[in-house]
Amino acid sequence: MKKTRKFYPGTLGKYFLLFILPALVIYLIFSILPFVFTFFYSFTNYTDMNPTNLNFVGFTNYIKVFNTPIMRKAILNSVIYAFVMTGMQTLLGLPLAVILDKKLKTRNVMRAVFFFPAVFSALIVGYLWSYIMSSSDYGLINNLLHQLGLGTVNFFGPKNALFSVLISQIWQWTGWGMVIFLANLQSIPKDLYEAAEIDGAGGLKRFFKVTLPLMAPSVKIVVITGLVGGMKVFDIIYSMTKGGPGDATETVMTVMMRQGVSKGFYSTGAAFGVIFFIVVMLISTLITKLMGKWSEAIS
Amino acid sequence: MKTKTLGKNRNRRSLVITESIMILVALIWFVPVYYLIVTTLKTPQDATNNPLGLPSPFVFGNYAYAWEKMEYPRAFFNTAFITVASVALIIILGGMAGYAIARTKTKAGTRMFLLFMAGLVVPFQMNIISLYSIVKNLGLMNSHLSVILVNVAVNLPQAVFLLKEFIESTIPLELEEAAEIDGCSVPGKFFRIVFPLLKPVIATLAIITTLNVWNEFMTPLLLLQTRDKGVILQEVSRNIGQFSTDWTAMFPMMMLGVAPLIIFYIFMQKYIISGVAAGAVKG
Repeated sequence: MKKTRKFYPGTLGKYFLLFILPALVIYLIFSILPFVFTFFYSFTNYTDMNPTNLNFVGFTNYIKVFNTPIMRKAILNSVIYAFVMTGMQTLLGLPLAVILDKKLKTRNVMRAVFFFPAVFSALIVGYLWSYIMSSSDYGLINNLLHQLGLGTVNFFGPKNALFSVLISQIWQWTGWGMVIFLANLQSIPKDLYEAAEIDGAGGLKRFFKVTLPLMAPSVKIVVITGLVGGMKVFDIIYSMTKGGPGDATETVMTVMMRQGVSKGFYSTGAAFGVIFFIVVMLISTLITKLMGKWSEAIS
Repeated sequence: MKTKTLGKNRNRRSLVITESIMILVALIWFVPVYYLIVTTLKTPQDATNNPLGLPSPFVFGNYAYAWEKMEYPRAFFNTAFITVASVALIIILGGMAGYAIARTKTKAGTRMFLLFMAGLVVPFQMNIISLYSIVKNLGLMNSHLSVILVNVAVNLPQAVFLLKEFIESTIPLELEEAAEIDGCSVPGKFFRIVFPLLKPVIATLAIITTLNVWNEFMTPLLLLQTRDKGVILQEVSRNIGQFSTDWTAMFPMMMLGVAPLIIFYIFMQKYIISGVAAGAVKG
């Protein structure tokens, strides 16, 4: 009797814990524990010069973060980057998906071409584009401009460097968005379009009245993962600009790696991490709410 | 009847126009990749004078140089080992945990699920400083194991989520009950009956996590300090930083950096695209 109960479906008995344990241990040590320690360190005077004798210092590290111009700039840049990146990925990816959902002969090849850059590492895409955009003789774009008799464009000035980085990333990730939008499009029943057509709705009207509202789920996914992913941007900056010129393209992660890890300002870096977490949470809550309202408004 | 055929013709014509425009856009989109490939085979002068033309003469020496400078075979095997081990652990451990959670409708089960889901909202990058000190204190610094374990911890939440949902929605309990009657134990039930049925979701996960782990640069940069342990991306960044005069020699390095994934993409293109879509829509 006892034996049958132990193996009753829905209760795994001791195997519940045994099955979860390996995953749980790794997850606790390398995900949860670092998270707890980040909060803990952010209230101490932990640095590479003072690794053991930790004292609580209240909010000193947080005040330091707000008084460090490069950290403020880094947060601002990450937010700008995340919003522009996500906006462009949606604005370009959505029409691209709608077009490549039509009965075009080469649509499979084109889908493969647009998605292709997404399998590259962002680090290498950054190196490639820094050659493409370079102001030296060999920069591809400037080289072509010279052949047309035009002047040199400096893509990495203090004002436009962040946007040059963004161009490379829009090139890389638009296809990723397109693939997610396409999956959503293919799940929309075709008779909805036929009904709209009978009602005399034209192409654009059909897009805004029928397609767009039904695309809410995939737009939500692309926007939220895009924003959160954009806030974490590191590789592309590391390879394209190293945060420069000056602090023009510093982002949260480039500053955290340099100030927090390499230079050994551990506790300030930890406070910076906590602030970063709060900003990410605020943005994703806000956007989730807005998207919820949008879904409500159209349904 | 007549208007209908007229409409059809107009429709077809507009499709042809759309297609032509899109082919042009796709070609432009492909230019950076084309530029990367042709430049690997050029001399610096040829690449400067004729950046988008075919190489003349074809130079293959740059590849041999890059291969040697990057210590490519070693870097490749380090990357491959880290990727294969991470992906295998994510799938097996995630599958076990996902199964246990899917089949335990108790408070403990729900809490466990929520604990894992917390990992989907917390960006692990915020914790690199404490991660660094934990890895150091465990004596794992500069080991492949540290990178593998971090990869596993970062990717587990998504794996647990996808696997749990899949088990709940597609694996019938009756199947497991039948196995129980035949005297199958819980591990036997999971590994012999449930796990093989998870193929579609495992394929999705394997694709997404392979792309994530192979392209991960910050974790190895943080945790692997000596060159003999380093991954391909660290070699690319080390070498491109060092030599800038002979600039066409950098292109084969970039190419060697992306080549394994290009090959993966060419063979698995259909699965990769549908895997990414499936993973995103459900995750």
